[in-house]
Amino acid sequence: MLPFPPFELARPGTLHALLQRLEEPDARILAGGTDLMPNLKHRIEKPPTLISLKGVQELNGIVENEDGITIGATTTLSEVAAHPIVSERFPALRDACRTVGTSTVQAMGTLGGNLLLDTRCRYLNQPDGWRTAIGGCLKCEGNVCHVARTGSGCYAAHSADTVPVLWLMGARLRITALTHEREIDLPELYTSDGIRRHTLRRGELLHSIHLPRPRGFVAHRKLRTRGAIDYPLLLTAVRREGSGASAVLSALGPQPILVQAAVAADLPEKAWAAAKPLNTHTASTSWRKHMVRVEVKRALESAVTLALQ
Amino acid sequence: MSDTPTDDGPPRSPDGAMGPDSFHVGEPTHILGQANEGKIDGVAKITGSAVFTDDIRLPRMAHAKLLRSPHPHARILSIDTRRALEMPGVLAVMTGEDLPTRHGAIPIAQDETALAIGKVRYVGEPVVCIAATTEEVARAATRTIRVVYEPLDAVLTVEDALDPTMPVIHEQGKRPSNTTRRVHQHFGDVDQGFAEADCIHEAVYQYPGSTHVPLEAHAAVAEPLPEGRLKLWTSTQNPHYVHKTVSHVLGMDETDVRIIKPDVGAGYGGKCETFVTDLCASWLALKLDRPVKCALEREEVFYAHRGRHPTRMRVKMGMKNDGRITAIDFEAIANGGAYASYGVVTAFYLGVFLTLPYTVNNVRFTTMRMYTNLPPCGPKRGHGALQPRFAIESHIDKMAELIGMDPAQLRRTQMITAPATTVNELHVPSCGLDSCLEEALLASGYAARRGRLPTGRGLGLAASVYMCGALHGVYRDDLPHSGVQLQIVRSGRVTIFSGTADIGQGSNQMLAGIVAERLGITPKLCRVIEGDSDLCPVDLGSYSSRVTFMAGNAAIDAADKIRAVIAQAVAPSLGAVPAALEFRNETVSAAGRSVSWKEAVRIAEAAVGTLGSTGSYRPPKAHRSFRRNPIGPSPAYSFTAAVAEVDVDIESGIVAVDRVWCAHDLGRVLNPTIAEGQIEGCVYMGVGEAILEEQLYDQGQMQTPSILEYKVPTVYDTPTIEAILVESHDPGGPFGAKEVGEGPQLAIVPAIANAIHDAIGVRLDHPPFTPEKVLRALQGRPIAVPDMPSLTPKPR
Repeated sequence: MLPFPPFELARPGTLHALLQRLEEPDARILAGGTDLMPNLKHRIEKPPTLISLKGVQELNGIVENEDGITIGATTTLSEVAAHPIVSERFPALRDACRTVGTSTVQAMGTLGGNLLLDTRCRYLNQPDGWRTAIGGCLKCEGNVCHVARTGSGCYAAHSADTVPVLWLMGARLRITALTHEREIDLPELYTSDGIRRHTLRRGELLHSIHLPRPRGFVAHRKLRTRGAIDYPLLLTAVRREGSGASAVLSALGPQPILVQAAVAADLPEKAWAAAKPLNTHTASTSWRKHMVRVEVKRALESAVTLALQ
Repeated sequence: MSDTPTDDGPPRSPDGAMGPDSFHVGEPTHILGQANEGKIDGVAKITGSAVFTDDIRLPRMAHAKLLRSPHPHARILSIDTRRALEMPGVLAVMTGEDLPTRHGAIPIAQDETALAIGKVRYVGEPVVCIAATTEEVARAATRTIRVVYEPLDAVLTVEDALDPTMPVIHEQGKRPSNTTRRVHQHFGDVDQGFAEADCIHEAVYQYPGSTHVPLEAHAAVAEPLPEGRLKLWTSTQNPHYVHKTVSHVLGMDETDVRIIKPDVGAGYGGKCETFVTDLCASWLALKLDRPVKCALEREEVFYAHRGRHPTRMRVKMGMKNDGRITAIDFEAIANGGAYASYGVVTAFYLGVFLTLPYTVNNVRFTTMRMYTNLPPCGPKRGHGALQPRFAIESHIDKMAELIGMDPAQLRRTQMITAPATTVNELHVPSCGLDSCLEEALLASGYAARRGRLPTGRGLGLAASVYMCGALHGVYRDDLPHSGVQLQIVRSGRVTIFSGTADIGQGSNQMLAGIVAERLGITPKLCRVIEGDSDLCPVDLGSYSSRVTFMAGNAAIDAADKIRAVIAQAVAPSLGAVPAALEFRNETVSAAGRSVSWKEAVRIAEAAVGTLGSTGSYRPPKAHRSFRRNPIGPSPAYSFTAAVAEVDVDIESGIVAVDRVWCAHDLGRVLNPTIAEGQIEGCVYMGVGEAILEEQLYDQGQMQTPSILEYKVPTVYDTPTIEAILVESHDPGGPFGAKEVGEGPQLAIVPAIANAIHDAIGVRLDHPPFTPEKVLRALQGRPIAVPDMPSLTPKPR
């Protein structure tokens, strides 16, 4: 078995105590651990301290309010998927939660954790001895990107299954810290850099996710090699807007991309043109590009079906 | 049958076989063949109380970890271990020179050492082993080792291996080359066969490599014993071979080494050899005089490998217009990786089964197994016979189309009928392929549905054959291949001692079932002690689908001997002759009078003393051409017919295997639940190889050494499976039984390939049938199978 590197586990019991610990320079948050734990075992990260969110009750749960629902960041993916309001008003979010990993991963993994899932790459998410043989990579113990050798950036793929649908649902994020609090739209969380992949600053915590009342029907599709377990090869969310439509695509690069078409029928072609899959996965890049058109078309069809129901 | 005790000394028949007086073929059974009352190790497995090697913790036990090569081919110039030795908790550092004796699975191809010496031959080859007080310290210490390498050109493909200008991977031996083994055999008159053909078709196929992915990683725990003896627990399919190899490499007498196989989490062929874990744990335990555990991480299991050989094949087949095959000309070249493993055997298996299950009298084949700088290939379920079966069964469907004949009818017209002896002198005592074919066709509705389903949906058929162990073991001697010893105590409990290795497949249930059947008791009265070299008679191990056939016969032999002793003792009190006694329902009875099993045991023990017996099995000698065809002959052959139904998404190219009907001739059903489970496992593994599993290497480095990225099917990717059990009552099998653990897999991949053709009209000759391959074939720009290289040897 792969042993863990040594770390200290802090379990603050209040939000205040938690935010205090987050001020420490190397603080690393532990929520469900389904992303972080394998990365620790692979020595992709070696944080000295993990700060558990488990003891802070107010981060957990789903609350209905006047203009929608608010989901606490540590609400598990199973809890989100099983919630009646989610099923009724945000069925695409339920569908997306149910495609994450396996049912055991969904039972441990949290919605906040999914939003902040680390970017992934075939050259990064490997045991440390394996990475040594290729001299590491830009994101971890090296100075070459094996995906784009001549480039200067990291292209590790954003792989969070719930993000494209939350994006199209207009999710807003509440971010809290010891000294301040702010709200941002979901797209503002991400950057084009696979290493500095999100915009949270030191001391900040993703507190909760707010979904306004649904506007239009959102459909979710996840392309993966097998029927379970796998991270996405392509994530597609589509929303119909009058005669037009929007798509958010992910697993193509460090952040999701938004594609819009005034005429819905043009969306698959526009999405295909915008998508530039890279060699971040072992699956064929040209096939993943081909599948953008297929997946967007199919998502559009299911968005229509949902609208008719 | 006779209940009279046999003479002293082993029974010897003219054909050299050793075993029971009767195999009880066709006799009615009361325990065997009944719906399973529960697997005897089932509760331990599902409650987690089963003890696997990595569960073993001993006082003062140290942990060993390995440093592996980052290069596919390189000279080792120096190894600096000083920093590791200075680390607190590090106990010992071991390098190749510490244990230089060569070993290997096959006595004539011993090319491995415990750790690399002088050079490394694949990415992931073990170079240094460190023992420390904890696993964490041992692992951290391996990262402090400085190894200076001089990289060499890497031999990665079969073309590289054939190229005389490329470096030789193994420099020892008289005429070093990168060929592990070349086999050329010729039977009948192939040229005449082609001259008589109405239709000749030739094509090249590429079967990919794949690996086993057992749930349990390889692990070993070695404990030093007084007076320089050694005890080794190891996760293995072949405790006997590990016993011989560990003793040999460590320079110890076999009587000073005890091998114990605890519960094992599967093997599928991947644990048929002695691994670095066994040798390093043993050497370090003796050096440190404390127990040492060496357990692989999952990544390392992909480097230990010994899986399916990637194989390129050229098939040329001649056929009459009535479908009869007139000749086969076949070539195969397998990319074997860095060490021989069982590769010599693989080279034979790639060719020798071309003469089955259809009558083909003109066959010529050349096969080569090559060394390359990749993790070593070896036996995986259907070893060596599976790749050519894919090619042949695909080829037959193509030729059926060429001559305008139904593929099922084409197969039906020329399948062998037993008893038969093939042109290469494989003797087939029993064959139920006709029933397999009809049952699979009927269940799947093949005749009415094939060719008539909507585009994207299709049915495909394939048939196959497999062996039930080898007539000739890897050691050329006259010793039995299986031994079983029984001990019966006055409580009525029966203990079965056997050198077999239950690796989850249920061989313990098989032994208990057979002994219980012959003694008329419940299997729950039987305890099986197996896989312990101090306690058990030798069995060659769980490979080649030999265990039920061979150990099952040894169990009959032992059970019948002790039954005769008990019958002799009990008969007077029942007023009957021994042969008239019936053993059933824990009662021994005759003519309306009976005693309980327990009472019968007490009467017998009072009469003759402690009750025990031994049984043996040695297969008959092969037919006269043993020297020419040493590998392939088996005491019996199993047969399979499978129909697959696929759903091809023509927009994405994704293939879903919806259903598989798999009818398998296993001779006699000894345990229907376990037999169906084996067929389901074969279908599952076949589906993985057909649509998902790819071993991707870049510069010799495995790209997906994890069970996240190496894609074995999940439950959602697994079809609905209909396992159909067909009985043919083999005259030499225990109660007529044959194998069921490997054979069914051979038919699955070609059945899927043929179904894809029915669904979308394109032929795919190189699994796995990934969406990209399917899509490109549909778009009329298929990804080509690479050309067949010339197999004529080139001088270096």
